[in-house]
Amino acid sequence: MIGKVNTVKWKATQLKKRWARDGLHTVRYAVLGREVNRGLLFKLFIYWILLVTSYIYLNPIFKMLVKMVMNEKDLNDPTVTWIPHELYFGHLEKAWTALKYSQSLFVSIGISTLVALFHVVACGLMGYALARMQFPFKKLLMFLLVLAFIIPPQVIVLPMIIMYTKLGLQGKLFSLIIPSIFGFGIKGALFVIIFRQFYTTQPKELEEAAKIDGASAFKFYWKVMFPLAKPAILVVSLFSFVWTWNDTYYPRMFLGQSPLVPLATQMSRVDASISSMLASEEAPLVLVEAIKMSASFLSLLPPLLIFFFAQRYFVESVERTGLVE
Amino acid sequence: MRSKKTMKAKTSRHLEALLFVAPWITGFLLFMAFPLGFSLYMSFHKVTVLPTGLKYDFQGFKYYSELLFGSSALYDNLIPFFQEIVIMVPIILVFSLFIAIMLNQDFPGRMLFRVVFFLPIIFTSGHILTEFVNQGEGTLGFLERFSIGEYLDQFLSDSSWAKPVKDVLNRFVLVLWYSGVQILIFLAGRQTISKSSYESARIDGATPWEVFWKITLPAMSPFILLNLIYTVVDMFTFPYNPVIELINTGNYGYNSALAWIYFVVIVLFLAILLLLFLRMNRSARSR
Repeated sequence: MIGKVNTVKWKATQLKKRWARDGLHTVRYAVLGREVNRGLLFKLFIYWILLVTSYIYLNPIFKMLVKMVMNEKDLNDPTVTWIPHELYFGHLEKAWTALKYSQSLFVSIGISTLVALFHVVACGLMGYALARMQFPFKKLLMFLLVLAFIIPPQVIVLPMIIMYTKLGLQGKLFSLIIPSIFGFGIKGALFVIIFRQFYTTQPKELEEAAKIDGASAFKFYWKVMFPLAKPAILVVSLFSFVWTWNDTYYPRMFLGQSPLVPLATQMSRVDASISSMLASEEAPLVLVEAIKMSASFLSLLPPLLIFFFAQRYFVESVERTGLVE
Repeated sequence: MRSKKTMKAKTSRHLEALLFVAPWITGFLLFMAFPLGFSLYMSFHKVTVLPTGLKYDFQGFKYYSELLFGSSALYDNLIPFFQEIVIMVPIILVFSLFIAIMLNQDFPGRMLFRVVFFLPIIFTSGHILTEFVNQGEGTLGFLERFSIGEYLDQFLSDSSWAKPVKDVLNRFVLVLWYSGVQILIFLAGRQTISKSSYESARIDGATPWEVFWKITLPAMSPFILLNLIYTVVDMFTFPYNPVIELINTGNYGYNSALAWIYFVVIVLFLAILLLLFLRMNRSARSR
């Protein structure tokens, strides 16, 4: 009798122990996860890291947005850091006229769009040839491509100025576009590499089918391969557009003092004139900063908008380009 | 008969390929080979601008010797710049690898974070970054708070590294901003590692720490190399770096010589990096 009671008791404690252990396990699984990267703790850790770094990234941008719409009183008031008392658009107006916004915007959009378009076409052709075609001196061409990638623009810019002067192109906006027609210009070699990487990942059967159909390589490329390359096209055109948009080096070299310049170049000119204003103490520092911020915002707005519209496809594309393999 | 036919097919295929590469080769000759050769030519000549055109007087290695041995201006700019690169490149690589692995995890809201981390691609190339730095947005608050600068002064006071280390720390956020493309490349690279290798490692009872060192890192090594080259090239060609500011349109011969010295230095630097990387990789594999 006593033995029976004991066994029942023993069983009960055993059960309790197991529950406790199981409960502990559930908690442990929830917090730490069955594997380390599935638990709550790890997720919190990720969020924390990403939030902190995002804050570091976004802080200057938010500052820019806020300073842009503060009036002079708020700018001078140290208690106002994030939320201005009222929205003031005077700085934006000043920046607008200083940048000659409508004109430079038009120039910038025209040049960047054309360059991106030419880059996609020219670099795509070269990338395809390097990835899928057999021809003599292919190794040599690959070497030249890598060379083109690492040559700093500063080495070749002076002869190009001389060349452009001879051709009568120096100071013309067209001089910024010509290199891209052949797949050069800003980071052209990188775009060829991206296309090449994409085309190498495509299945081999595509060309065989085309061979049986008797289609010419050119037709096959435009009808089949190029439309397949949408992710690569998106990545290259976005990069090309944005980098051309932001570039101030080539415009400074090729356009000189020409009145018709892209937005980024106009922006650096405004910057220089503002600095001289500051030196002669015509305007207080805070005001100048606000105007500068407005100008930066205005010149960045178009690529930013494009990025926000394209980002969903962009993020997917990046994963599918097989950017490097 | 038959071989003739295949020969013909082969030549026609080569001709077709020529059609594809011809524009690029034309471009290379026009915008790379010719300017490169011409600037090499100019670097040995004194170039005078006359109303009728340009006049070239042969000089030999005068500009080169002047630059290399005549004054210290080149070294004064080049050496700190190199020190900064040596510090910045590892920071950028480690940071971007870290962020890429984080962004690759599955958690709600990761799309939003990806957008944030791709933003630098838009900003970095722009004028705006210098603007931020001028405003003092480049520093992390903790530097002043813990007066790290003073510690560094004590610690590195007599070595030439104190200034570059401090400069990099002062622009630390900027360093993070440079990692946009690198994060993207790592993220794309991380996708190429198959899930099954992770699963089998897990079944064998490997800890995530081991998985990272034994699977992720070796599989990522080609991407690390690519990022290394990209970062170094990007830094060297960044238009606001001090050496490039030396190169202007003033004296054609002198500036061409300077640009060529710079170019050779870059190639040497990249070659050394490549060699080191390959050797490290080999020793890691043989272990």
